[in-house]
This record gives sequence, structure tokens and C-alpha cells, in this order.
Amino acid sequence: MMVAGVEPRTLVEPQSVDELTDRVRELYARETPFAFIGGGTEMELGNLPRALDTLVRTTACTGVIDYAPEDQTITVEAGMTIAAVSDVLARERQFLAIDAPDPERATVGGAIATNLSGPRRLRYGGIKDTIVGVEIVRPDGVRARGGGKVVKNVAGFDIPKLMVGSLGTLGAIVGATFRVFPVAERRAALMYAVLTVDQMMSLCAELIGAALVPAAVTGFACAKRGRYDVVVTFEGFARGVEEQMTTAAAIAVRLGVDAEALPDDALAAQGKRERALRRGANWHLTVCAPPTALAHFVATTPFADDVRHAVDPLLGTGYFAAAEFDVATVAAWRTALGGGSAVVNALPAQARRGLDSWGEPPKAALAIMRRLKATFDPKGLCNAGRFVGGL
Amino acid sequence: MAAILDFAQIVGKRNTITAPSELRTYECDGLAGFRVRPAVVVLPETTEQVAAAVKLARSLGMPIVPRGAGTGLSGGALPVDGCVVIGLARMTKILAIDLENRRMRVQPGVINLDISRRLAPLGYYYAPDPSSQSVCTIGGNVAENSGGAHCLKYGFTVNHAVGATIVTSDGDVVTLGAQSGEPDSLGYDLMGVLVGSEGLLGIVTEVVVKILRRPQATRTIFATFPSTDEASGAVSSIIASGIVPAAIEMMDKLAIEAIVAATHVDWPLDVGAALLMDVDGVSAEVEDTAAAASALIEAAGAIEMRTPHDEVERGLMWKGRKAAFAAVGRISPNYYVQDGVIPRKDVAAVLREITRLGNEAGLRVANVFHAGDGNLHPLVLYDARIPGQEAKAEHVGGEILRVCLKYGGSVTGEHGVGRDKACYLGEQFSGDDLATMQMVRSAFDPYGVLNPDKLFPTPRLCGDKPGAYTAHPVEISGQAGRG
Ligand SMILES: Cc1cc2nc3c(=O)[nH]c(=O)nc-3n(C[C@H](O)[C@H](O)[C@H](O)COP(=O)(O)OP(=O)(O)OC[C@H]3O[C@@H](n4cnc5c(N)ncnc54)[C@H](O)[C@@H]3O)c2cc1C
Repeated sequence: MMVAGVEPRTLVEPQSVDELTDRVRELYARETPFAFIGGGTEMELGNLPRALDTLVRTTACTGVIDYAPEDQTITVEAGMTIAAVSDVLARERQFLAIDAPDPERATVGGAIATNLSGPRRLRYGGIKDTIVGVEIVRPDGVRARGGGKVVKNVAGFDIPKLMVGSLGTLGAIVGATFRVFPVAERRAALMYAVLTVDQMMSLCAELIGAALVPAAVTGFACAKRGRYDVVVTFEGFARGVEEQMTTAAAIAVRLGVDAEALPDDALAAQGKRERALRRGANWHLTVCAPPTALAHFVATTPFADDVRHAVDPLLGTGYFAAAEFDVATVAAWRTALGGGSAVVNALPAQARRGLDSWGEPPKAALAIMRRLKATFDPKGLCNAGRFVGGL
Repeated sequence: MAAILDFAQIVGKRNTITAPSELRTYECDGLAGFRVRPAVVVLPETTEQVAAAVKLARSLGMPIVPRGAGTGLSGGALPVDGCVVIGLARMTKILAIDLENRRMRVQPGVINLDISRRLAPLGYYYAPDPSSQSVCTIGGNVAENSGGAHCLKYGFTVNHAVGATIVTSDGDVVTLGAQSGEPDSLGYDLMGVLVGSEGLLGIVTEVVVKILRRPQATRTIFATFPSTDEASGAVSSIIASGIVPAAIEMMDKLAIEAIVAATHVDWPLDVGAALLMDVDGVSAEVEDTAAAASALIEAAGAIEMRTPHDEVERGLMWKGRKAAFAAVGRISPNYYVQDGVIPRKDVAAVLREITRLGNEAGLRVANVFHAGDGNLHPLVLYDARIPGQEAKAEHVGGEILRVCLKYGGSVTGEHGVGRDKACYLGEQFSGDDLATMQMVRSAFDPYGVLNPDKLFPTPRLCGDKPGAYTAHPVEISGQAGRG
């Protein structure tokens, strides 16, 4: 079990949230550096730990605390896998809007800590939009809650948001409440073949202009340079989906491009293509930029032959994978992206030297983040050094 | 006084208020029961002026209270003794509209509705629509994480205000969150925490919001019921069917009476409850969901159902709903609004408990609320001229919040904690929960000078109730050291 390529000395697996709380309190009191692990699917994200002794695994904490289908909310312990939560929800024809690449392993806590984000974020929002409550164990071993169990709530500061993407540096996420959604009656998808970047962006403008409501839009880079197969997915009640498919097909005619309907399990097909993207590649990067900047970036960057990628052009997210890559290229991309970011999700251990996984946030905001980290973890023991700015 | 002259040097004389008669406007917000006169009010026009005013206030040891339009209902913009109120209402510029990335950058004093008005010719709009949207500011919305009828489907301010420029308590200018349309920004989600922080973490001087394409179609349904029980049943079955209405609002008998008297909508008076609902989206889906919802409403026991014939009639219906608070103000000399949230499946039961509480106190309670997300707005009617009634109304209001907590809900869904509900926060959250929030505060404002005496229960505000105590931010930052 490695953390950014470093082997911890000890692995502990508390059998309950209470035990986990006790463990953290002891570690903190003894000044033993520690970190958390869920399913272990994203352990290469983040910088080298500054110090690490004990890894605390959350995967034994898997209870469903409360599920209220009528209220479309669920509260679970954070060690539960995304697949397990999905199974519970599926019985009531509901789902959690987190498209995890590896749902059988990825845990709820890990998804929150890494701000896991997939193509259907376009329609259902990201974790930040669907999390309504959180329970954490602070680095000092104190258990605290924020938010609540109801979908609407402005009492107190939004601690749930603060935990999303915090990479376990402000403590362990031990429980969370989400807003969930009814499973759509119908899903259908259309694939527009070999579009140029300009055509892809025109397509996006047309979809928005026609007030369609796609669940996801993903462009998969083709073997032919600068070209994309763009998959547009619709979900909802049957007639609405059919009408949108018709309009979307008409848009293809207007743009003079080929489009074909994908079979019913379009989402599965999309997932397969996404996984294929990363297979056999040691380097994974996520690019995040305003849609127009992302389009400019993919249109003007001279990608090496083995760089595979896909973009969610309306979200402003790009996923890149390659066998060979280097620190200088990461730096060049960051410069090219301006206000956007290029985060390295995975890389070979020996390539870490000199690399910052994240890139630099604005200085003034970083100063507040530093104070925040120092207030939550004054001894600097909790997943130290791995986050943005060496936090 | 030297201090006040110095403020005038920063923002100009015209934008500095010191005359007692003019200061009176700033003594309270929408919660007029609490009043404190500030030492001075400044109305800056730029971020730089805000920063300079904050620095000056700090050097003079003055607490700082940010203010938008002053429509808040929880005493969030209530001044504290000797404070400077920094009013953002004159920062009203729309700075940029970026249709391609569907973002807009505005100054904080821009009125919520003006954003959508400006976008209307382009076919776009800004989703969160508080009933006060024609007067409240976007900065106030960010501070309160304001909601509105159409937030059921589209989400609250926090889902739409994605980036900001703030002035911190040290007078530093900081940009937070996503500035131009990128989905995430690096590091902790400080923007996510800023939204809803009620002016305690920073003064918002620019906001980046998401803008949405107008839906293809919208259908509105107005339905009446014998009582709130049947109306609640209709809401539950609509939601259970998988329909996500854009909005679904409930009004009880008293609220309907007040609205009819004030706005002349032709709603029937001999009913126990009404629902006003929008479904929107792509045309075919809207047709189907409107039909399905109508069938469910009928099955739930509706007396009558209406759909507006045109935009004008639809506008009138929504105007009726949005004017509800003011309308109640016309049938009662005073009222006290609550904002509790409960799981929506419990709406009928909780409404019955609210009626009981009102009856016991001999006070009428009108209910007009966001039924789809269980966000109640009981309005407790009273007459302040009758000795003891105000205290009774406050008591009923408090007991209502306790009922909401008993059902696993929250003491506020959109109006904020402010001064009004600070003492109830200790009943919703543990001391450790609140201390954790104080840690966040200390990272932004270690000395607690921004909007003091709000949100957090303190012994001074609430008495020495066990569990309500939380450490002062300076205590925490002292222990933590300032990183
Ligand atoms: C009739 C009526 C109906 C209402 N309906 C709704 C509704 O449907 N939904 C809803 O959510 N609310 C509603 N409200 C409450 C209120 O309008 C909202 O809370 C609104 O967001 C307040 O905006 P404001 O500009 O008036 O802010 P203010 O009342 O001036 O301030 C509110 C809080 O925000 C802080 N603040 C203001 N501006 C800034 C800034 N630029 N930077 C930092 N902090 C700032 C203040 O310190 C204060 O704590 C209603 C109010 C009324 C009177």
C-alpha cells in the first residue's frame, strides 16, 4: 500500500468510526505522522509525503446510516464503495451522481477527498453540488459534523464543501450525506464522428443554443490528429430524450458532420472508452480550464504520439494519459493553460523529482489555505506535504 | 472626529454617512426588531476603496459589518456598537458577460434580478431567485447562500456563484474559486466556504456566476386542496414519480387570504391549501411531466387545478407567491418569519405541530414555503402594541425551530443564522462542530473583527448555556499559531 510511491511503516484498519477516532487521537498525541486510505484507487495523486508513519484505512466503516428515498438523500459511512452505495440506491431506482472509473474499489470518502468528477457532472453537478452533510475526524482526533441531512441548509459554515478535494489533509472524512437522483426512464446517446476542435465547439454552442439538456458531452481524441469522436448523452423521460435525439441529429446535418445513435448501454460504452484511455499509461493528468481555453489548448498543443486524451468540452475538463511524459511538458502545459490547471493524477515514482503534482494556486488564496491547514493540523502530522503548496 | 474624516478621504464625502438621521436607515436589516446605530457608514465604489476602508477600520479598532441592500431576515447586517458599516450597494457594475463559457462577473451591489434582466435579450438567465430578487444584492446572496422557489431543480447560490474577489479582515484583496469558467480551482474550496458565511470571512467585492440558457418550455400549475395534508401528499407523489419540478411552492389558507387581499389574484378563498408549481425543460418532456404531475395532483385530492393562459397570467401567479411576506404584513401589524427545514416527507406532520404551537400561544401562523425541499416559512402573526405578544411570537418561532431539529432538519434553509438564530445553532451543532467552524473563521479573520456577534452562539449573546460555548477565534489561532 503506497502513498505517492512511499511505503508507510504501519497500516491500521479500524473496525468502526469510533475506533478510527481513537486511533487518530492517539497518533496525534504521539506526534506520529499519518494519512488515510480508502479503496486506494488514487494514491498517486499528490506530492511526496513530508513525513508518513501510519496509514489508516477506512474500508471497514461501511454502514448505511440513513436512507430516505422519499427525500432523495442518503447518509453513509465513508468506507463504503461507490458500487455498494449504488446497489442500495438502485433498489429504489435512484443513483449517486458520482461517475467513478473504478466504483468497486473507490470509496465515498476517497471520492470526496479527491473531488472525483465525471462527464455527467454537466447535468447533475459535481460532488460539491450534491454533498449536503459531512462528518470528519479532525487531525487532533475530534469528531465534528457540518451541513446536515436535509437538501437545503445554510446553518453554519459549509464544512462539507471544504472537505471536497481536501485530500485528507484536514482530517478523515468518516461519513457523508448526499442528494441522490431518480434513475432516468430513458438514456440515449449520439456519436458525432471525427470532428475538428472548431466543429466540436460549434456543436456545443448549438446544443446550448437549442436549449437541449445533455447529461454528458465527451470528445474522445481520434487516431487522426486534432479530431474527436464526440459522444452526447441524454437522460430523462422517454419523449424528452427522443425529442432531444432528433434535434441533436438535425444539428449534425446542419454542421455537415456524421452522427450515429449509440446502442442503449451508451454510458457503459463511454465508461469503457474512458478506462481504455488510461490502460497501460503510467501518467494520468487532468486539465481544468474554461471551455474556450481548453479548446484552444487542445487545438494548439503539439501532443506527443503516445498521448491519449478525452475532453468534456462544456465542463472544461480534459483527461490525458501517456506512457512517457516529463516534468518540463507539465510545466509547459500549465503555462499554456494560463488560469487553468493541469493536475498529475498518476506517474511513475522515479519521475516525481522536481514535480509539483498540482501547480500553483493564486498566492493570496494560498496564504488563507496555509492558515487553514495550520489551524486544523498545527503539528503538521496529517497527510503532510501532499497537498497544494506543500500543505 | 478624525476617524470619520479619514473614511471620507477614502470613499468621498458623498459616500460617507455620519448624520444620525441618515444613519437610522442602517440601524437594522429586514429583521427590524433588532436595532443598533453604527458609528459610520461608508459606501465604496471600488475594491480598492473597500480594502482601504477595512485597513482604516482596523487601525482604529472598529468592528466591520458588511451590508448589501439590507433585506436580510436574520439580522446579518445588524450593526454592532462602534462599528463601521461597509455598504456595497453602490458597487453596481456588470463587469463582463462571457456567453461562450457561460459566466458573468459582477460587482456585489448588483441586484439579483438585474442579472437576469440584462441576460434576457440574450436568452440566458441567472437561476437562484429569492422572493426579494428585485431588491436584494448578489453580494448579500453570496453571503447568505440565498435560495428561491426555483432552487429545487437548479440549486442554490452556492451552486451558481463559483468565484469571487474578497477583501479580508486585513484589507488584503484575494481571488477565490473559479474565475473564468473552469470547473474547479486548485486547493481547498474556499469559495464553497465563503458562500453562506454571512459576512464573517470576507467582504465580497466581485462575484463570478454561472448563467443558464432559458429552457425550451415552462408549464405552470396552480392547484387547491382541502388542507395542507392533501397538498403535502401531492408534493410527495410528484417527487416520488421521478419528476423534478423547477419549483413547487405551498401556501396555506391564511397565506392565500393575505395574498388575495394584497395582490388581487383571483385565487379561491374557501380552500385549505394551494400549490404553485413550474416544470421546465425540453418541450416534449415538459408536456409529459406536466400531464403526469396533474394526474398525481388530482389523485392526491385536489379541489381545482389551473394553468395560466399566457405569460401575463403566469407572471401574476408568481407575483402573488413572491409577494406573500409583504401581503401577510398587511393583515397583521407584525409578523415573525421562520426558515426551518425538515425532510420533505414530514411536511404534513410538522405543519400540524406548528398549528398546535400557534393555537397554544393564541397566535395565527401563516405558511408559505418551498415544499419541494422541505424549507418552511411559518410567519407568526402578532401585534407588538399588545404587551407580551412579541415575546410570545418569538417563543413560538423558537419552538418551531426545535420541531424542525426534532425531525432531523435545520434551523435555517436560506435566511441565514445572523443575530437572530445564533443561539439556536448550539442546538443544531455540538460544541466540537462549532469549534471546527470557528477554526475556519480564524483562518480568514483571526481577530474576529468581521461581522462580530453573528452566527456563533456566545455566552454574551445566549447566556452560559452548556454546549453553546465555542472558543473565540483568537483563542484557537493562538493555540494553533498563525501559519
Ligand atoms: C420580502 C423578502 C423576501 C425574501 N425572500 C427570500 C427568499 O426567497 N430566499 C432567500 O434566500 N432570502 C430571502 N429573503 C432574505 C434576503 O433578501 C436575502 O438574504 C438576501 O440575500 C439579502 O441580500 P441583501 O443584499 O439585502 O443583504 P443584507 O441584508 O444587506 O446582508 C445580508 C448578510 O450578508 C452580508 N453581506 C452583504 N453584502 C455582503 C458583501 N458584499 N460581502 C460580504 N458580506 C455581505 C451582511 O453582512 C449580512 O450578514 C427575503 C427577504 C425579504 C425582505
